[in-house]
Amino acid sequence: MVKKINPDELEKIVASIPMISASASRLLQITAQPDHELMDVVNLVKTDANLTARVLKVVNSAAYGLVSKITSVDRAVSYLGEQVVVSIAIENCAGELLGKELAGYEAAGGELWKHDLRAAIAAREVVIQSGADMSPDLAFTAGLLHDIGKALISDYLRGTAPEAVEMISSHDSLDYLAAEEKLVGVDHTIAGYALAQAWQLPEELAMAIRYHHEPAQAEEIYRPLVYAVHLGDSIAMMGGYGTGSDSMRYKLDANYADYIQINANILANVMLTVDTEFDKLSESLSDSGEKS
Amino acid sequence: MGQIILGVGDFGASNNPDDEIKTFALGSCVSVIFLDPKTRSIGMAHVALPDSTINKAKAAEKPGYFADTAIPALLAQMAELGCDKRGKGIIVKLCGGANVMDTNDTFQIGKRNALSIKKILWSYGMGAIAEDLGGNYSRTVSISISAGQVTLSSPGKPHWQL
Ligand SMILES: [Fe+2]
Ligand SMILES: [Fe+2]
Repeated sequence: MVKKINPDELEKIVASIPMISASASRLLQITAQPDHELMDVVNLVKTDANLTARVLKVVNSAAYGLVSKITSVDRAVSYLGEQVVVSIAIENCAGELLGKELAGYEAAGGELWKHDLRAAIAAREVVIQSGADMSPDLAFTAGLLHDIGKALISDYLRGTAPEAVEMISSHDSLDYLAAEEKLVGVDHTIAGYALAQAWQLPEELAMAIRYHHEPAQAEEIYRPLVYAVHLGDSIAMMGGYGTGSDSMRYKLDANYADYIQINANILANVMLTVDTEFDKLSESLSDSGEKS
Repeated sequence: MGQIILGVGDFGASNNPDDEIKTFALGSCVSVIFLDPKTRSIGMAHVALPDSTINKAKAAEKPGYFADTAIPALLAQMAELGCDKRGKGIIVKLCGGANVMDTNDTFQIGKRNALSIKKILWSYGMGAIAEDLGGNYSRTVSISISAGQVTLSSPGKPHWQL
């Protein structure tokens, strides 16, 4: 019998997850503000020796193939750009959580992080290539964090994948979210939202985590971003980067069209870009981890 | 046993009975499988998009990525193993092409991939004898060259044959 996650249990799970670092938290706050500048990111990175070291290691990794070594944070941050810096910061303090095996979904270690990176790039590209009026950087960050709740409930879902799959094919559950809810009492968006609150993430990110499968339920001001993540998530799964048994088993909300103008041609181009950019980004991030 | 792992946009063929051809987690991508009884060789392409006109440079670098460039490329590679250049006698199987649930037309890339592949096969006078297309789940495919057996798997489901 599967153990259910009641509110007390959820609170316990969330409390067992290490807090994100103060600098990562600040970085997410700063970058969620529409009027921030790259200099704000530079100054933040400088306050954290660990983050500084990681940023310099990435920029000087083989993936970038620089002729001369970059030693200043200013140059490193402007060379890498905000999205790579955010990826480094999140990997630095939540890498273990996002990299873990999702046994409940029959997904190996690393699959969730790859899915998150693909969804992040796809959400950003959807914004850029559709010309939607919102920040591609924020869409990227929201994409990186959207499925964090899976890491919280996966152990409780252990052994349930065949049942969840059957519940959906027999129309007993509408999608994988509904199956999660039936099986363990809480779906991954609710669990993720609880963690987002504990981490005091900016509201935009918390909303993307909470409503990425039900974007119409988000408050109007957050909806464009939530729809961008919704599409980024679908594109990641379509491209073959899901997280195991739940892959493709979610509904597309076609009302994205109220916020994001995308046709078959743009979508094909987005998918192509995601393939290329994912290889580049994951190479630069992983490379830096191995050498010291 | 040699394992030939094909990523997105890759294609490959073998007549070595010790080999296995494998591709992981097809979402909206479609795997085109060619089995040639005459030469006992098998080939596969992992097709991501229906039409190469959106990016000719990518098509030149990775012909397996697009339906219209993947099939000629795979046929050419099979021809090197002694198969008929136009695909005569080759048995075709197709799988993948899934969609997310409640998808709209724009997001039906899986369906467009399958249609485009069928149209091109048709221009060679070829057609699939078996297919497992569509649905809302990802598929991993492996084929043993010696047995000519196409095995599919998906997390949470028992394996099945095509
Ligand atoms: Fe999700
Ligand atoms: Fe997701």
